[in-house]
Amino acid sequence: MNAILNFISRIGQLDRRWIFLIIALVVLVPLYFPLGLPIRATESTKQVWEAVENLEPESKVLLSMEYGPSTKPELHPMVFGIVRHLLKNEHKIYITCLWPDGQFMAEDLIEKVIEVEFPNKSYGEDYVLLGFRPGGEAVIKGIVGNIRKLYTVDARGSAVNDIPMMIGVNKFIDFDFLFSASAGFPGTVEWVQYASDPTGVPMSTGTTSIQVNEVMPYVQGGQVNGILAGMPGAAEYEALIGVPGIGTSGMDAQSIAHIVIVLFIIFGNVAYFVERKKSQKY
Amino acid sequence: MSGELIGAWIAVFLTLAIFSYLYKDNAFYKIAEHLFVGISAGYWTSMFFWTQIQPNLFGRLWPSSHYDSESLWYGIYNAMSWINSSVFPAGGIDKGHEMHLIYLIPFALGIMMLLSVFDKLSWFARWGIAYTVGMAAGLRAYGYLNSNVIAQVRNSTLNFSDPDMPVFALIGNSYFNGIVLLIGTIAGLLYFYFSKEQKGAFGKVTRVGIYFLMVSFGASFGFAVMGRISLLIGRFVDLIAYNGTQYHHATSWILVIMVILLGYSAYKNDDPKGNTAE
Repeated sequence: MNAILNFISRIGQLDRRWIFLIIALVVLVPLYFPLGLPIRATESTKQVWEAVENLEPESKVLLSMEYGPSTKPELHPMVFGIVRHLLKNEHKIYITCLWPDGQFMAEDLIEKVIEVEFPNKSYGEDYVLLGFRPGGEAVIKGIVGNIRKLYTVDARGSAVNDIPMMIGVNKFIDFDFLFSASAGFPGTVEWVQYASDPTGVPMSTGTTSIQVNEVMPYVQGGQVNGILAGMPGAAEYEALIGVPGIGTSGMDAQSIAHIVIVLFIIFGNVAYFVERKKSQKY
Repeated sequence: MSGELIGAWIAVFLTLAIFSYLYKDNAFYKIAEHLFVGISAGYWTSMFFWTQIQPNLFGRLWPSSHYDSESLWYGIYNAMSWINSSVFPAGGIDKGHEMHLIYLIPFALGIMMLLSVFDKLSWFARWGIAYTVGMAAGLRAYGYLNSNVIAQVRNSTLNFSDPDMPVFALIGNSYFNGIVLLIGTIAGLLYFYFSKEQKGAFGKVTRVGIYFLMVSFGASFGFAVMGRISLLIGRFVDLIAYNGTQYHHATSWILVIMVILLGYSAYKNDDPKGNTAE
């Protein structure tokens, strides 16, 4: 018994660099040797899928990309999944960006998904990149009030008046659905507050894991139709649309890393109590 | 050597340099940190000038659609164009805007904010800050009141006469969720009521509030860990990709060189106490 207690006590004093190394290994190994652990969609992910699936054909969908390279691993896979689903169901996609980096992410999305997997879809008729406009929530207010005043040209320099799919799109209520891929401010919260709630246009969202707690009350309250929560949310969406992607490939590493972290937390707590008991004894 | 190849090597170096901080503070980490701060500041300044100030401010003050070389207003513009023709191109700025001279007000407020660098004129900056704070407060007051207070209260209200309301549901309205929400909200709010000592029956209710707060913090921590692991996976996926033959095994080479140099530095033992990452 003493040997076990001493071992646990030693674990509690382990140099944190060993823990970093173990975490690195448990993340790296499943990336090289995937285990194929099952992925089950949560209720909130199913809600997003159903919201997209139930849209009328040729619906106008505003896709707002509020993230950059720092949160790309979490949000890019879910945007890929959403766009695949939307284009498969013949919807029109209007891409806006509240973050400057979002425009690079949008260009990457067009290059890697739309142009490769949907070559029959044409720019300006099936999808358009309106691009980044600075101003945060003021941009959202601008889109709600008069999108044409805010966007006179798209990200490629074409006059918005000359873009065929912009016919009949003058303000936010002309859209049928909004999907916000958000990594922080301005993002999903601002879209709810200044666009979706005041106008009643339905919206769904995909956020970084750290933002989920902030957005979840809107989902629970019915103001947002579901949420894709971080990389697991993306993987679940990929499973629902039947197209495995970057999200799915990262889930084995994610699951195993979580188990190891939970074990470390348990060992850490046990070691703390063992140490405390020892110090009380002497 | 293609641009993509150089970019891959730089990305690998910067990623591993940042990771090297987990071993201990070192020169590689310092290089990456300084580059990040400098490039971020430069990038954001440039981005905001060319996407906001030049097209949306100058583009509305001197639009090409109203260009008149004889007028005094465009005479000023032409003088600025002579100084810098990329910001003020000849013939006015063509960004699809009409002329809006009311934009002189934000222009003036912006200049007043920049005056904060001069001690004697720094008080001008308060005007710009006052406008920004007032506008943001007004805008957000409406948003939070409408979506976070009124809508949340309305959506979490239990309708006992609704026959379709389930007793239990994982997400959305149910009797169970509604009651938990009600107890959690009241108990949580009472915990922050400091005008009465938290003991007796009141103390027991606030204790329940603490438990709800702890569950909330636990969920936040769990999501934070999940997010960080996701980002780590993202970097590892890139490092694996950049270790391919088309990138000349950039990850392996840089990792080996970095480990050798850090090992040599540790051998020299510049810091006998061995500062570790905090």
